[in-house]
Amino acid sequence: MMKIRNSRFGVFYLSLFFVVLYFPVISVILYSFNASSSTAQWTGFTLDWYRQLFADRVIGAAFRVSVQVAIITSLVSAVLGTATAVIAMWVSRGMKRTIQGFMLLPLLVPEVALGISLLFFFNTLGLPFGRLTLVLSHSLFCVPYVYIMVQLRLQEIDKSILESARDLGATRWQMVKTIILPLVAPSILTASLLALALSLDDVVISTYMSGPKTTTLPVHIFSMMRVGVTPKVNALCTLILVGTFFIVGLSQIISKRQKQ
Amino acid sequence: MERFKQNLLAIPILVWIGIFVGIPLIFVVVISFASRDSLGNIVWEFSLDNYKRMLDPIYLRVFLNSFLLAVLTGVVTLVIGYPVAYITANLPPKKRALSLGLIMLPFWISSLLRTYGWVILLGNSGIINNALMALGIIDQPLPMMYRFGTTLVGTAYMLIPFAIIAVFNSVDKLDRSLLEASYDLGASRVQTFWRITLPLTIPGIAGGFTLVFIPSLGLFFISDLLGGGRTIFLGNLINTQVTRGRNRPLGAAFAVGMFVLVLLVIAIYARTVKENREGLFG
Repeated sequence: MMKIRNSRFGVFYLSLFFVVLYFPVISVILYSFNASSSTAQWTGFTLDWYRQLFADRVIGAAFRVSVQVAIITSLVSAVLGTATAVIAMWVSRGMKRTIQGFMLLPLLVPEVALGISLLFFFNTLGLPFGRLTLVLSHSLFCVPYVYIMVQLRLQEIDKSILESARDLGATRWQMVKTIILPLVAPSILTASLLALALSLDDVVISTYMSGPKTTTLPVHIFSMMRVGVTPKVNALCTLILVGTFFIVGLSQIISKRQKQ
Repeated sequence: MERFKQNLLAIPILVWIGIFVGIPLIFVVVISFASRDSLGNIVWEFSLDNYKRMLDPIYLRVFLNSFLLAVLTGVVTLVIGYPVAYITANLPPKKRALSLGLIMLPFWISSLLRTYGWVILLGNSGIINNALMALGIIDQPLPMMYRFGTTLVGTAYMLIPFAIIAVFNSVDKLDRSLLEASYDLGASRVQTFWRITLPLTIPGIAGGFTLVFIPSLGLFFISDLLGGGRTIFLGNLINTQVTRGRNRPLGAAFAVGMFVLVLLVIAIYARTVKENREGLFG
């Protein structure tokens, strides 16, 4: 078979693309260590901005709210998303299409529109804004991602294994427990981490779902950024990045170990 | 019978989405026909005032801005992203996995950080202006912030992974024997691309456009931070009406206007896919 190879220019273009893709991110990280509070010049290495960060109580409180909400959201999404994907394996064709359509719905509504519609809705229901409304709203855009990722993995499962299990008299529940769930476990892990990251990152919907005392970290960071450029924001963003990559990296190592 | 029971199991999840997405969206439509009193409370009296106000040239301009931003974001991400997807699909397995990883890694990086990076780069005392001034290319900082183009850069940067992944899936599914046949028959690389690859990857292009167009309408924090509120987009307008403006019914009416734009692009997407018989999710 003939190989379709990339030209040298192609490889150059790809490399250039990645440089541009990561340049803004690296700039934020670099300038979190700049002694000067302006990006105009590099006046030396400092950890002052990080020190200021840890002394900031408001940031600490917002961080706690965000982490709590993200963990619960990711658990809820992992369960609901996986359950839906597994259930969808055996439903009728029409039902499967309905599920797909419903799952795409939260992703097809622009975030501002979804945010304000939930604001009106919870307001009318009289639900207090805070952790509960944050988890409810974040799950709406996290469950579909888990569903899509788990469903993609389910499609790869060799159907003959399930058929033979069935011939040997296994019930559906036994098949799910002993065959399906272990096979899709790595996807569930990755998907729930993505849900965690999405929830930790959400600005738009959280703007409307936060309560007076329960602001999430991104909503707080956004208000900091609007006031002006300060390396404290860089330091905070850098820490979040390091934290996220640490968790993702760790989970990758764990899931690789388990495979062996 | 068993199938019926299985179908029943799916009902709770449909009800859940119905309650938390369907009903609130209907709510928005209903509120858009209401009005408000001087305190910002909603008055339940049917009126078309909000929609009449939308026809004001100032507000029509906002619609046009948003539509332009969304269309241009789609075009820019596809023009830059298509080659990335195409080249990645043709890489040897290991490099291909690396490239895909680098394309998707930004999903794990805070979107505020990614937007803020551009503030640091493009500001008057930002990295690019400093570099250009240090090199003696310019004497005065180039005013690159707070323009329509700045918002476009930020939005396209945020959403480009979606466009690349959509195109990649399409290019990856491409039947390679067709390309070989084209080369065997003496077509050049360029001819093969324009006459075979591109037409066959139209579903991926349409999918990528849709996946980029829709969120670009609602990411108000990008236009706030990079556009500085100079050009007003639908997302910003809805946000200010609902929060500071205390005019929820008007905000709701603009959200309905936004739905119309979304439905329009979905309809175009559905038609393109129908003609090409291939969907976004296989």
